[in-house]
Amino acid sequence: MGKPKIGIYGLTGCAGDQLNIINCEDELLKLFDIFEIKSFVMASSAKDEEIELDVAFVEGSVSTEKDLEHLQEIRKKSKILVAIGHCAVYGGVQSMFMGNEEWMERYKRVYGKESAVTLTPPLEPKPLAAYVKVDAVLPGCPIEKEPFLKLAGKLAHGVVPRVPDYPVCAECKWKENECLLLKGEICLGPLTNSGCGAICPSMNIGCIGCWGPIAKENMKSEAMLLMEKGFDMDEVAKRFAIFGGVERAEALKSLVSSSTKESGK
Amino acid sequence: MRVFKLKRENFIPFMKGLSKFGELWGPVRKGDRYVYANEPPEKFVLNAIRTIVPAKKFFLPQKSTILKFKNNEWREHYDVKKRVIFGLHPCDIHALNIYHKFYTRLYPDPYYLKNRENTLIVGLSCLPDENCFCHLTDTETVNEGFDLFLTDLGDKFLVWVGSPKGDESLKLVKDLIEDTTQKDIDEYVEWRKKRRSMFKVSLDLEGMPEILTFNYDSPIWEQMGTACLSCGTCTMVCPSCTCFDVDDEFDIRTDEMNRQRYWYSCVFREYSMVAGGHNFREARSERLKLWYTHKLVGFMSEYGSPACVGCGRCVVSCPVDINVITVAKALLKEKPDAFWARMASSNVEVQHA
Repeated sequence: MGKPKIGIYGLTGCAGDQLNIINCEDELLKLFDIFEIKSFVMASSAKDEEIELDVAFVEGSVSTEKDLEHLQEIRKKSKILVAIGHCAVYGGVQSMFMGNEEWMERYKRVYGKESAVTLTPPLEPKPLAAYVKVDAVLPGCPIEKEPFLKLAGKLAHGVVPRVPDYPVCAECKWKENECLLLKGEICLGPLTNSGCGAICPSMNIGCIGCWGPIAKENMKSEAMLLMEKGFDMDEVAKRFAIFGGVERAEALKSLVSSSTKESGK
Repeated sequence: MRVFKLKRENFIPFMKGLSKFGELWGPVRKGDRYVYANEPPEKFVLNAIRTIVPAKKFFLPQKSTILKFKNNEWREHYDVKKRVIFGLHPCDIHALNIYHKFYTRLYPDPYYLKNRENTLIVGLSCLPDENCFCHLTDTETVNEGFDLFLTDLGDKFLVWVGSPKGDESLKLVKDLIEDTTQKDIDEYVEWRKKRRSMFKVSLDLEGMPEILTFNYDSPIWEQMGTACLSCGTCTMVCPSCTCFDVDDEFDIRTDEMNRQRYWYSCVFREYSMVAGGHNFREARSERLKLWYTHKLVGFMSEYGSPACVGCGRCVVSCPVDINVITVAKALLKEKPDAFWARMASSNVEVQHA
């Protein structure tokens, strides 16, 4: 078996995930050794877009029609497609208010008028999985070196990695931290995918949720808990929204409306 | 069991003497809580109550490599150090005894056994706070499972010898200990009375196995499930929780596969998922029910005693107040003061997307 052929691509995002791959300085040669890199525009303009890929890593959200075409091309030629970074996995911060039908209003506020951007027609930002089959994900905003290298190690050995199904709290307890929620601080640990090693809570900073919402999160309970601790529902909803992606944006609507109903606003 | 006396001023030299056995670990402050840390004995907090995670971390670490694989060859991987672990309370030692049964009876675990073999366990007496309930779980005192045990009587400690290993270790500190007198014994008896009178939690825990069995379909599981964050904290901090998961990590730097074993939890969704994607306990309430019935009923039938030692870690750690005390109170029809109960009685209706 030859080396797996890979491509690393970016759609709409800050390119921070690709940058963090380049930042694996000491391991770059090793990465080049175990993979045959066919396209990585951020690192080299030499590329081969005709060849079939074993693995494509894609960062960024689908935010334009050009993004969508590009993604579909990548999907067609790749055996395994890995979404890397929050934008690709969940839609990114740009998707936090999606689905509330005000997107075009905000677009016009930024760009003046609907037809201002002529390069490619815009789309409501969405994660890759909204359009194509995604085989594996690596969340994070941005992704980090060690989790990426572990993912790369698995893929190099033909293993399709999965995201742990447990929240940041697990890793936080492994590190023997005091619970910040119990200390009355906003911490999104219980709602957030683990994998980061609970970096922020270990520094006494509440989790902001940058690894994205865990499957079947209990947002209602955490919201009510924070309200009981004296936080305002609007503040809580905003915190939840930042890295909540498309799915949580939908769930947040019903959460906010029900709490408003209860408090009689 | 042999008992000696150690004067308080000799405590630090005593600990330093024992540290010739191995690395010295004891309870030190972390924020408002305590953790076992490898620090000089001057930093140990002698009135520390319940560390954030229990001493199980020494025998089944949070995450450890158990096997390495390279070039079609594999070998077991042990990371064993000789250690003295100081500051385990009777509840902690009872929990280790449960651990011992679990990891030695049906499938003797070589990693556990090697760690255990290389550890000197030095217990320490304690005075309960408002969340301790070892007086209800029959784990208030301990007779086995330690090498040495220190009872703090103020100007002196009584040193109980619990094993041949403990006896042997006293050779390292033989100039520091002396024989007990009748006065010491009298003081100890008084101290026990005082300790007994300090417990605050009052609850019929002995009846729990039956009560849990009768309440298998109680609506309180659903109420707790609504509030449970499935964060896994209860199981991580519980000294008798034994579950782990295993994952292979490939290190591209060394071309080596490291098989990792790490703490896992029955309250996580994937825990009960099987091939094909079916999940036996999809609902949070089902997973909570599993934890409580296993801990307080299932363990009883398998090992002869419930697996709760009354340390109170779940009581102080669960953000939504799901713990042995509030669950037992609810099953006994007492109204627990708990977030999950308040949430259940609030009338907020939320439809999840």
